[in-house]
Amino acid sequence: MANQASSTQALMSLRGIRKSFGSSEVLHGVDLEVFAGSHTVIFGPSGSGKSTVLRTMNLLEEPTEGSVIFEGIEYGPGVSNSKPKRGKALDLRRQVGMVFQQFNLFPHLSAIDNIALAVHSVTGKSKEEARERAALELKKVGLIKWAMNHPAQLSGGQQQRVAIARALSLDPKLMLFDEPTSALDPELVGEVLAVMRQLAETGMTMVVVTHEMGFAKEVGDQCIFMEDGYIVASGGADFFDTCTNERARQFIGSVL
Amino acid sequence: MEDRPRINFMWHLVWDFRSELLQGLVTAINVSISALVLSFFVGLFFALMRMSRYGFLRGLSSTYVNIFRGIPALVSVIWVYFGWSLLFGYNFTVYQAGVIALTLLYSSFFAEIFRSALEAVHKGQREAGAALGMSRIRVFRSIVLPQALKIAIPNIGSMFIGMVKDTSTFTVIGLGELVYITQSINAQYFQPFVLFTAAAALYVAAAFVIDYLFRAIESIFSYPRQSPVKRFLTRRKRAQVQRLVEANS
Repeated sequence: MANQASSTQALMSLRGIRKSFGSSEVLHGVDLEVFAGSHTVIFGPSGSGKSTVLRTMNLLEEPTEGSVIFEGIEYGPGVSNSKPKRGKALDLRRQVGMVFQQFNLFPHLSAIDNIALAVHSVTGKSKEEARERAALELKKVGLIKWAMNHPAQLSGGQQQRVAIARALSLDPKLMLFDEPTSALDPELVGEVLAVMRQLAETGMTMVVVTHEMGFAKEVGDQCIFMEDGYIVASGGADFFDTCTNERARQFIGSVL
Repeated sequence: MEDRPRINFMWHLVWDFRSELLQGLVTAINVSISALVLSFFVGLFFALMRMSRYGFLRGLSSTYVNIFRGIPALVSVIWVYFGWSLLFGYNFTVYQAGVIALTLLYSSFFAEIFRSALEAVHKGQREAGAALGMSRIRVFRSIVLPQALKIAIPNIGSMFIGMVKDTSTFTVIGLGELVYITQSINAQYFQPFVLFTAAAALYVAAAFVIDYLFRAIESIFSYPRQSPVKRFLTRRKRAQVQRLVEANS
């Protein structure tokens, strides 16, 4: 899919992204293109900067330097202090959905209201209409019967599925997943991966930071290996078989 | 022992002056409720200021908190009532002076209560709201504040009981609250034990009622268990969700 789209413009590009926390730089100039309909998987050891890259894609982390370009509009500080017209973070985030490692559902709201609040406040639909949309999204992830339950009354896997439904309820053009199964009991990982696999099959553009190498190998058509704030190796769907980078091979071997 | 005069406890005075004493308690609670509402918003304002990204605003807020948290209610009300009139020639009514004095004092406590409650809300909550594209105001109003209020409400209840008690010092400016009434009855009959026992009983009774009310308010904000109050308030929404669940099953 990535190849067929490569002749056209990327949906999202990162250009020269650098990020510092205080005096330590954690990303040293990351360039990345994400094409519409593609499934990018990012993996690497802890502290390699993979989550930070993902979080710059919706400007939860404002890059210290570099640009995030989404559908031709440039966000972030840019390079070499040029100040062209910049998009607002809020506009970008309304088109990019995100799923977190810790789910981050709103504990004071029921499953359906978690979704309805997002729909109501972002699209301006009435609360009743928002709940109707929320019910459809809950049905898609198989949780309509749990609509009235609060997050504390749901398993980790169910919570993450609600979180995915919440992000999808805003019709995002790109979905970001930040280690979506890392906080789950092993037996609950499957149900979340199933929902993600289903989503991938519908042609949703996805960027997934994950330690689930089986899933990455199966779904990823752009594979990125990161270490120490650099993209060390990358490739297409056959990356896991053809990768020649020794460090990446070693990492894949140790995880698979 | 023989020389000691027989003490006559005139307990009937409590009954005779029941409406005056109750009126005193009502005045005390009136002043406290006005001050509670004002302190709530002023306190929230200073709590947000304390969490601002600008050091100047943070400094201003912590100065306010540290000054007014340290002033006793008695001093505060004398300063507001007499001092303000001397300085600016404007006379507050005793009621206004009482409300202002309590608000100055308690808004500084509320600022601290709100700050710790707001900071207790997990950072991921704000991030989730931001990632969905919600405005900062919306994230605060619909996500952070409801969770912070749940944490803050029990403390606010305790503060409110403290406010009612602190109105007793406003007798110095002649506010007709419970202690003022008690003292004036006492001036006629010299029955301090009887009258102040009655006053104490009324303060304690008020504290019980306030505690009960704040528990009811707290239950509205509690989750996932839904209190009857909350179930009543959300009955229409729940009916809609019920229909949606059935339609989509």
